[in-house]
Formats: sequence, structure tokens, C-alpha cells
Amino acid sequence: MHISEGVLSAPVLLTGAAATATGTAVALRQLDNEDIPQVAIVSAALFVGNLIHIPLGPTSVHLILNAMAGILLGWKAFPAFLVAFLLQSILFQFGGLTALGVNVAMVSIPAVVCHYLFKIVTKRDEEGIKRLGVAGFICGAVGIALAAIFLMLALSFTDGSLEEMGRAILVANIPLAIIEALLTSLCLVFLQKVKPEVFTEFQDGAQSLQRRGRL
Amino acid sequence: MININQGFAQGSSWVHQLDPRIKIITIFLLATVLAVGESIVMLLQALVFSSFLILSAKLDLKEVGKRLMVVNFFILGIWLFVPLTYPGEALFQVGPLSFSIPGVIYATKITLRSNAIMLGIIALLSTSTVSSLMQAMRYLYIPEKIVYLFFFVYRYVHVIWKEFNRLHDSMLMRGFKSETSLHSYRSYAYLIGMLIIRSYDRSRRVYEAMLCRGFRGEFHNLDELSFSSRDLKIFSGILFFISWIIIVEKGVFLV
Amino acid sequence: MIELKNISYQYQNGEQVLDDFNLTLEPGDKIGLVGPNGSGKTTLFKIIMGLLAPDEGEVIIFDQPREKEEDFIEVRERVGFMFQDSDDLLFCPTVEEDLAFGPLNLGKSKEEAKEIVQETLKLIGMEGFEKKVSYRLSGGQKRMIAFGAILAMQTEVLLLDEPFSGLDEDAIERMVGILNDTDRSYIIVSHNGELIERVTNKLYYMNE
Ligand SMILES: Nc1ncnc2c1ncn2[C@@H]1O[C@H](COP(=O)(O)OP(=O)(O)O)[C@@H](O)[C@H]1O
Ligand SMILES: [Mg+2]
Repeated sequence: MHISEGVLSAPVLLTGAAATATGTAVALRQLDNEDIPQVAIVSAALFVGNLIHIPLGPTSVHLILNAMAGILLGWKAFPAFLVAFLLQSILFQFGGLTALGVNVAMVSIPAVVCHYLFKIVTKRDEEGIKRLGVAGFICGAVGIALAAIFLMLALSFTDGSLEEMGRAILVANIPLAIIEALLTSLCLVFLQKVKPEVFTEFQDGAQSLQRRGRL
Repeated sequence: MININQGFAQGSSWVHQLDPRIKIITIFLLATVLAVGESIVMLLQALVFSSFLILSAKLDLKEVGKRLMVVNFFILGIWLFVPLTYPGEALFQVGPLSFSIPGVIYATKITLRSNAIMLGIIALLSTSTVSSLMQAMRYLYIPEKIVYLFFFVYRYVHVIWKEFNRLHDSMLMRGFKSETSLHSYRSYAYLIGMLIIRSYDRSRRVYEAMLCRGFRGEFHNLDELSFSSRDLKIFSGILFFISWIIIVEKGVFLV
Repeated sequence: MIELKNISYQYQNGEQVLDDFNLTLEPGDKIGLVGPNGSGKTTLFKIIMGLLAPDEGEVIIFDQPREKEEDFIEVRERVGFMFQDSDDLLFCPTVEEDLAFGPLNLGKSKEEAKEIVQETLKLIGMEGFEKKVSYRLSGGQKRMIAFGAILAMQTEVLLLDEPFSGLDEDAIERMVGILNDTDRSYIIVSHNGELIERVTNKLYYMNE
């Protein structure tokens, strides 16, 4: 879900850039130098995840995994996507440069929303694995739906004539939202079963290593 | 599938040798001017300029074409919609559909802009190694944490890519078929979950290994960049060109 | 130099890995640590480096008891730990930067660091590799560079976790030569009995 270079109007590009700059600034304040390898590795996993084709009938879709990123990283999803997209832009020109801010904000704002949504849904009972699955499903769907809505808004605010296209993209993303919902749900359950620490440790960053290692 | 190695970064043309700081500043200025530019004449000139850089860099044109195709996929969507939805005098009509003249002009501008910027990015950024770009970013006041994040991401994309392929291959060996089914989606979910866990474990071990080598939250760099006089000459040329297209955009010479 | 007294360690998932383990490393000691997979050799190294805290027992390194994170900063500057997986150790774009990472952290100047890089490359027989991209090296080459990265820190003690695996005979001979020539103390893990015999003067066995 990228908007190409050269499509959007200056106000939309600036708004996107400002949103990304703000989100990244908030995240960088939370991010110690020691946490960089950890965030980087999620960002790299996202980068690779974005390249996986998931079959859908006769075609295939690319995953975005922004809900997953938000659940694991919170606000740090902003720099994670910023860097992943920048690298994609340099390596194979996905996403471009002037549209970078919009593209990052489009997926990262929903990621942060999912982060809080996930906390709210899972808080009430801690051990419920079913609830985790449900939370994953909701977040996966919301992550993509919100991103698609942002994309549509970016197009409509640029020019009225792009509204139709925006709406078409929104509709075309419904199957992706379902697939991401399913995958996020299954993936969270998998993580909970195999390595539940990831949920807490991504939040606390490197400090948790020290806390657990030596106190 | 997708090549995550930097095929275009190998080369010895003057474009390849240009100081990475100049490349970053140039593409930034160029992309900004183009992104807000409206004049078709200006956009055409910029497209010529970007193509000139591509030719000077002696890149494999077939490969460049392939990359442009992918980018133009979105642009194709624009062409499918905009001429129909843009209000204005009809260029021609097919049944109930009317293709408007301003719509076609609008779509043309988007196409020119997009391709000029993309070619610029290919010529200027893809011809630099990621480590040289990183070094340049340090000089350009990009926040240090972003630069290091970038550095680690680039490094680990390769490791995770390999990890992904190993896992995926082993799934294929065991008869996995990628299809639209719950089983297939579940397998992908597990694959991604496993990728996250392994990446996570690795990030911890990397951090531990850094601690063991005396890392205390501060990075040190080894090399410094310096401009050559040729870099400066080329840079003045580029600045001259960018000023020129701004003048064209503003229509000073147009009657 | 290193003294472990009655160390016990249990992973979070309840796996008891070490139970009342003792080990002493004196200057000049070249200890071989042998034991089946999963017997806790890597865990032991992590305890020495302060990456894991033992549930019970005492860790005394350079005559100081080590308990808190701060206590281990000095340990990490004076003990070089070569990880089992070289991909964990090498993270810089070029070999040169990877080799210089430790020395720069220890406060060496850029010039000194570059000099150390050159000496190290010569020592491990990999001259001319400084500008090569670390991740594109072969498995064995990576391991040699990881070994170099640890040597470059010029520490008094080395902890080597399966350093020989994946090396060709040539590289093994070079590594054995370096280990035999050095007057640093070290603890080495390997499953190759013959090589262990050639590079050590003491053996510790670990069982499950
Ligand atoms: N992070 C971990 N969490 C839980 N168990 C672990 C972890 N790391 C290692 N173990 C377990 O501890 C035991 C010892 O591991 P390790 O010290 O790596 O053995 P060795 O290096 O001797 O092969 C193994 O049984 C392994 O399963
Ligand atoms: Mg081991």
C-alpha cells in the first residue's frame, strides 16, 4: 500500500511528512541507543514480511503487517516503517522520497492505534488465548482498514478527480484486511504459545535484558 | 523474486563517484521541486535531466525499465480513473464515458513527475552503497538514532531474508503449497511468527555481543568524507540546473 | 582470574542448566570445556560475561566479586567472548568497521583502531579483507573475522564458543597456531577432541 511519487499535492505531502516527523520524534524519545538493534530487527522483519506474496484466489497480495508492528513496538513503529520504506525506496524505488512521509504515516498511525486497541482488548483477562486471537483479528483488520482510509483521504484531498480511485482502492483492500486479520490473529497465538516474553520485552526494550539478567 | 542486493551500486561512472552528500541533497531538492511543479515544460526538462544521469551512470537499461514498470503500476491506475473523473471539456467520448482534456493533462503531469523523480532516485541513490549513504546522513544532521537504525536494518534485512528463505524452503520440501486456504494462511502466520521470534532472539544476541565488545550506547565512526574539486564543480552545475527549472516553473520566460 | 563458585542457573521456563558448578581459571590456563549439546556451556559463558545472572553461587573475576551490571563493564573490557554464531558478532557493513568496533569502544583513537585492524587481519591471515562486506563472506570467513574481532580487543582472557566449527583445515591450523602462540588465558568449547587436546592444558567436563 504505497502511493507513488508525484501524485499527491503539496499540502497532503506536507501533512504526511509532519505526521511522520511527529510520530518519529515521539518514538525516538522512548528509544535508547541500546534498543536500536531490537527495533531494527523488527523493521527488517517487516521489510521482509512486506515482500511475501500471500495467495488470494488467482492473484496474490503483499502483507503490510502494521498491526503486528504496532502491537510489538508501539510508537516505535514509526521509525521502523520509516527506515524500512526508505530502504525499499533506495533498493527498488517502492514508496519514493517525497511521498515517504505520507506512506509512513498511513501505516504507522494505524499501527499505534492498534497498539492501544490491543492493550484494551487483552487487558481484562491475562491468560485468555482466545481473547488474544480475537484481539489480533480486530487489530489486523483495523490496521489495514485505517491505512486504506488514510490512503483514500490522501487521494481525495489532493484532487477531487482522485476520489473515485481512492474509493476503489479502499474496496480492493477489503480482502487484504481479512487476510491480515487472520494472519495477525494466528501469529499472535503462535507467539504466545512459543515465546510469550516477546510481548513484554519489545515494550521495555533493552532495559528488560538488564533487569532480567542482573538486578 | 526481489533482489535485495544493490545491483546498481557497482560501477565507476562519475555519477557513482559523486560525493554521497551531494547526491542526497540533489535528489532531495529535485524531488521537492518536481513534487510541487505544475509546468509540463519544466517536468519534461527534469525528465531529460534524470535520464541523462541514468545514461551517465551506465546502468543496465533493461533493469531500470523493469523497476519503472513496477512504479508505473500505480500510475496506470491514475490513467484508468482520472481522465474519466476530472471535470472539463471532453477530448473524446466512448458511449457514456467521456475523457476530459484537463484530466488527460493532469494524468500526464503525474506520470512525468513520478518518472522523473524515480529515475532521479535510481540514478543518485541506487548508485551509492548503503554504507556511503549512511555516512553522508551523519553529516547532514539526520538524527543519529535514525542513521543507526537504518544501518542495522540494512544489515539484518539480509540475515532475515536468508532465514525466511530457509524456513520457506523447508516448508516447500515438506510439500507445502501456497494457496487460498486456511491451512496455507495458518502456515504463513507461523512462518511470520517464527521469523519474528528468530529475529528477536538474534537482536538480543547481537546486543549482547555488542556489550561484550565494550559497547556503552555510543557509536564511533571510522571514516570521514571529503569533497573533491570535481564534486564541487558538478554540484554547482546541478544547482544551476535546479534554479533553471524553478525559473521555468515560475514561467518567467513564458509569454 | 576467573572463579566460579557453586553456580546454579535455571532458565525462565524451568530448565535447570547448571547445578552447583565450579571452575577456576588461573593466568596461563588454557581450559577446554567439553560436554554434550545442551549441557550449559554457552550458558556458563554468558554468566561469566554478566549477560545472565546465576540463581546461586559466586562469580569472582579479576579478584572482584561481580554482581551488578556495572561490575561487568570492566569484565567485558578485559574478557573477549566469541559467540557461537558469528552472525551475532558481525554487524557492521565492512570487515574493517567490525574489527574496529571493540577497540573504538575501549577508547582507542581512529588511527590506533586502524592499526589494530591491520595487525589483526595479518594475524588471522586475511589481509586485504578490510573493505569487504561482512555479510557476504562465507561461513568460515565470517568465523575467522569474528575471531579477529575478539582478538582485536586485546583482552587478557578469551572465551571461545565452538570457534572451529565450519572452518577449513587451513583456517583451523591458523587458529590453533594463534592460540598456541598467545600468552592470554582462555576457555574454549569444542566437540573436536583432537583439536581440544592441541590447544588446551586443562579440561572440564560438563554433563546434563
Ligand atoms: N533462552 C533460553 N531459554 C530457555 N532455555 C534455554 C535458553 N537458552 C538455552 N536454553 C536451554 O539450556 C540448555 C543449555 O543450553 P546451552 O548453554 O546453549 O548449551 P550448550 O552450549 O552446552 O550446547 C539447553 O537445554 C537449552 O535448551
Ligand atoms: Mg553452545
